[in-house]
Amino acid sequence: MKKILAMLLALVMVLGLAACGGGGDANQTSDANKPAENTPDTSGGNKQDDVPAASDLDPVTLRIWFHGSNVSPEASNKVMESVNAYLQDKINVTLEPIWGTWGDFDTATVTALAGGDDVDIYFTCNWSANEYNKYARDGYWVKLDDMLPTYGAELLTTIPEGIWECAKTNGYDGVGVYAVPALKDTATQNCWDLNATLLAELGYDVDAFIASASMNPDFYYSDEFEEALQKAKDYKGGDFYPLVGEPVVFERIATGTAIITGDLNGAPVLSYYYDVEHPATDIGSKIVCKYATPEFKKFAERTYYLSQKGFISPQTQNVDTANNYREACAKTGDYLISSQSYAFGCELDYSRERGIDVRMIPTDAPYMDATSGQGAMMAISATSKNPERALMFLNLLNTDPELMTLLNYGVEGYTYNKNADGTITFIDDVRATYSPWRNGMGNIRQLPPTAEEGLDYWDRFSAYYDSAEVLPYGSFILDASELSNEATALANVYGQYGFQLMGGATNPDTVLPEFLAKLEEAGIQKLLDAANEQLAAYLAG
Amino acid sequence: MAVKGKKKNLRLNSVSPGAEAVIYVILGLFALCCIIPFVFVIIISFSAESSIRSIGYSFIPQAWSTDAFRYAFRKLPQIWRSYFNSIFITVVGTALSTFMCALYAYVLYRPDFKFRGFFNFFSFFTMIFGGGLVPTYIVCKQVLGLNENYAALIVPLLVNPFNIIIMRTFFKSSVPLELIEAATIDGSGEYNTLFRVVAPIAKPGVATIALLNALVFWNDWYLSLLYIQRNKVLQPLQALLMELQNNVEYLSRMSGQMGAAAINEAAKMPTQSLRMVLVVLIVVPIACAYPFFQRYIVAGLSVGSVKG
Repeated sequence: MKKILAMLLALVMVLGLAACGGGGDANQTSDANKPAENTPDTSGGNKQDDVPAASDLDPVTLRIWFHGSNVSPEASNKVMESVNAYLQDKINVTLEPIWGTWGDFDTATVTALAGGDDVDIYFTCNWSANEYNKYARDGYWVKLDDMLPTYGAELLTTIPEGIWECAKTNGYDGVGVYAVPALKDTATQNCWDLNATLLAELGYDVDAFIASASMNPDFYYSDEFEEALQKAKDYKGGDFYPLVGEPVVFERIATGTAIITGDLNGAPVLSYYYDVEHPATDIGSKIVCKYATPEFKKFAERTYYLSQKGFISPQTQNVDTANNYREACAKTGDYLISSQSYAFGCELDYSRERGIDVRMIPTDAPYMDATSGQGAMMAISATSKNPERALMFLNLLNTDPELMTLLNYGVEGYTYNKNADGTITFIDDVRATYSPWRNGMGNIRQLPPTAEEGLDYWDRFSAYYDSAEVLPYGSFILDASELSNEATALANVYGQYGFQLMGGATNPDTVLPEFLAKLEEAGIQKLLDAANEQLAAYLAG
Repeated sequence: MAVKGKKKNLRLNSVSPGAEAVIYVILGLFALCCIIPFVFVIIISFSAESSIRSIGYSFIPQAWSTDAFRYAFRKLPQIWRSYFNSIFITVVGTALSTFMCALYAYVLYRPDFKFRGFFNFFSFFTMIFGGGLVPTYIVCKQVLGLNENYAALIVPLLVNPFNIIIMRTFFKSSVPLELIEAATIDGSGEYNTLFRVVAPIAKPGVATIALLNALVFWNDWYLSLLYIQRNKVLQPLQALLMELQNNVEYLSRMSGQMGAAAINEAAKMPTQSLRMVLVVLIVVPIACAYPFFQRYIVAGLSVGSVKG
């Protein structure tokens, strides 16, 4: 009798807890509806007299969760004093930041979102665990389209149309914008990362070498490429591996393919070919199996050949060590050619850091797609009690240089000093205790340039990124959530063959047919069909 | 012959010298295996970063340096605060949870307690079924208010069914019921019996679960990850170390997708020797706690055995 009673009580507890969990989720989804339903009224009421002055607004506390911060509690308090004084004047908001770090952001935000925490704004993007598109679909973010004209008018005009386009996704309340994209390094450009110091030591004319290799799709397959690697190998000795990097990136560079947002996580099996010289040109938008193309075969054969020649380290060919090995080699300059996804001005940083002359050889023109356009965003949580004010805050953050500088760089005289020419110089010791992830915050083009960057840095920055063309598949995002069985099977097959093949560890003559057969078995065709169907629907509008 | 026999008698339970040597070697090697990683960590923490870069981790680094220690103590005020947090959480948490577990177990051990079976099952049940992460999180954060405070780091770990079972078994095997009966006959009240008769005998058991609890509280970083986000001054040392470690791992994992941004961010991360400094700081206090508890645990091992 007692046993049964105990069992019952325990059961009640478990069910109670489960109900709590379910309740949380249920609230979540029903809340998700709220702002979208409410906004027409509020925006309707405010449309005439624009956004009210700060004194007319009720005081509101907003919590915002950042990613990749390195901020000490002490420095945060100090900076927040100034930020909040400023914000109270402007929109009567007190900001409570949560400085998520690289390591804890994923676990902590996913739990907080599932638990319906009282947080107003979350950082999100297409590579973090609170993935923008998925969480928009599941109703965690507030749809912004209706609110933007009222509460984010300046924001709408500041951020270019192309980037808004990339931020569109098919979310819980239909297709629309569910987060404010950051105006940052929004383009992708693949490069070969060249150790120019070593190349010069080998007797090469560096400029001529770069000129002939730039934008040359056959560079990877050329004798010139092989000869340089061979010379470096002879010069440095037997255990030197001149070609260092991530095989997955080699493949993208050498075949001219782009990442498809929504491709299997950590196991790419899909490719999208584009025109490397003019990325916007439509060469027949189609998603194909990465490994079934003649281009891939050519690449795999070439990589295997280079590997046999001893140009690629076994560490590069192992998925567990590839990254660390690449970093270690980069730091010490122990490479001749590596792969790099370019960020504006990064060669200068690298040269300084590695103590060698680092040069970049571009392999395509900079382009924009969902991957780069959704690289950093700020979403308003469905649990936010003040979504309008949250959007007003994001509007201000992205359009007010003073606020952005305060929040991103800290307080003048505390974390940095102004120079006479308008640039700034960081006070390194303090800045080390207050460094949010600069690019994760929003429109960073408003920031003052540092003395190192030079006065015209942001002009050059903007010119570079604004020149980026949008790929024909635009901000297409694959939704493979209904093919989870196939996805698991495909990821397993990839794990067995894919990485080794791209790293040149296995001979494609024997392995590639086997690999393709296994992919076929695992259901690649289903995924391809779904992907192309979705792409066609997307392109049709 | 006689001499040999005498020798044998002098050493009770002795094994042949050969076997003894082998056992010693095996035990010695095992002990070495336990100690070497720690020695290695200490060596790395004193290695110059340049040496780690060029030859990797090594028992004999190219150059020694105390830079990482100096950096840790001067530039990271949070280390001291986290040190305090860890010690505070461990002391308070261990005391509370040991007290609660021991009392719970004591009640389960007393056969005259009516709801023994029920409460036994009640605690045991949680070992098999949990509420899941998210419901637990909601209950802790929204119902119990375990949010950005020390309680969030202590309360969720207070009751551990495993410790209750250990303690109950300990009571059963080493505190004879007759003792309690005798105390009752002598006029001892319940509290007197518990604190003056049972408690002294139960010391080894209490020390065992106290040590287990202390380890749990000292090593926990997950609670901090979940419940301490806005008020990071409350982070314990382990959470600080995990954060640094996770940061580095995350950036190297994401570098394929984040490109240059990941590399720029990774350059800001503390050096490898600094991470080892934190490991040393974490291990030293808890290593010091072992000998203290060990006395009781060894005593506990012999308490239950037949004497004489």
